[in-house]
Amino acid sequence: MRTLVFLLCAFAGSAFGQLAWENPEQTFNSKPQDESVVAKYRFTNTGKESLKIENVKTSCGCTTTALTKTEYAPGESGEIEAKFVFSGRTGRQEKAITVSTSAAPQQPTILKLFVNIEEPVKIQPEIVLWRVGEQREPKTIHIAIADDSPAKIATVISDNPSVKVQITEVKPGKEYDVQVTPDNVNQPGAATLIIRTDYPRENPETKYAYARIR
Amino acid sequence: MRALSQAALILLAALIPAGLTAAFHPQRPPWSEETLLPGEARIQTVLAWGGDVQWIDARSAKDYEAEHVPGAILLNLEDWDQLFPRFLDQWNPEKKAVVYCSSTACELSHEVAERLQKDGISPVYVLKGGWEAWKSRK
Repeated sequence: MRTLVFLLCAFAGSAFGQLAWENPEQTFNSKPQDESVVAKYRFTNTGKESLKIENVKTSCGCTTTALTKTEYAPGESGEIEAKFVFSGRTGRQEKAITVSTSAAPQQPTILKLFVNIEEPVKIQPEIVLWRVGEQREPKTIHIAIADDSPAKIATVISDNPSVKVQITEVKPGKEYDVQVTPDNVNQPGAATLIIRTDYPRENPETKYAYARIR
Repeated sequence: MRALSQAALILLAALIPAGLTAAFHPQRPPWSEETLLPGEARIQTVLAWGGDVQWIDARSAKDYEAEHVPGAILLNLEDWDQLFPRFLDQWNPEKKAVVYCSSTACELSHEVAERLQKDGISPVYVLKGGWEAWKSRK
């Protein structure tokens, strides 16, 4: 029976490797002005031998990692710093960082980074499309302002006079519907809808939506 | 005999967590490399669609300029605001949109496909294996 217990312990040991992680899964909520987040994954070598971090791989080119050294003595701690640059991403994001060590090269640890990227001004959909010859009916674009954003929609303008826009405030200062109506859907056409906010005051943000007749 | 029964016990003890991991672990590997995620299409399927396809390259502008699928439109999240109107000018709503990035490991094609779908563009597929699959097509 002692043999059995020993073998089970040996299996269990190798299954978990020698690195103990403090927070292998981390969640961040970004603020409107944020362009990136940095997560620090602290670990300790809890094994009886030194180990080497052989590979740190991210699931996305948008996430880079930094490690000050690769060899860790028993009991020694360190950290992997992961920087996730948003680059146009919005909503809930999930990124993985795969860490392989000399102790268990075939059993990498997968660290997780969850980020909720708030969109100060959310436009859905970004495009309204009519097929040539279809019925000339208005289509709606919804604009939502994030709860903690002081921005309001100042104007919505179409750069094509034959595509008309009409803005309606659905929830004061927070939600708007923009009704888009082309004068003619019997031939191809295009318009860019310029959505101007009043924030930040010195350089208000401008967003865009599009209308196409194809 | 005793050693054999101990070995069987060890095997059983290992099989239970292994089976549970294979069935329920969120990070479990696919049984086959060919497993398709929702919205993915294999290169053979896309090639069979012939001219009915609008290729979308979700890689960086640098990679796109180096080489891309003939007729592909560049559209990535990094430069979305600049590239999306250009995409709309070239996009043919009659065609199936197929998004690719560099390989199976990259996520960009799924991210771009998801954003296009949110904008009501349909149908949108992701090329399984990405640019590598295109390069090694037969």
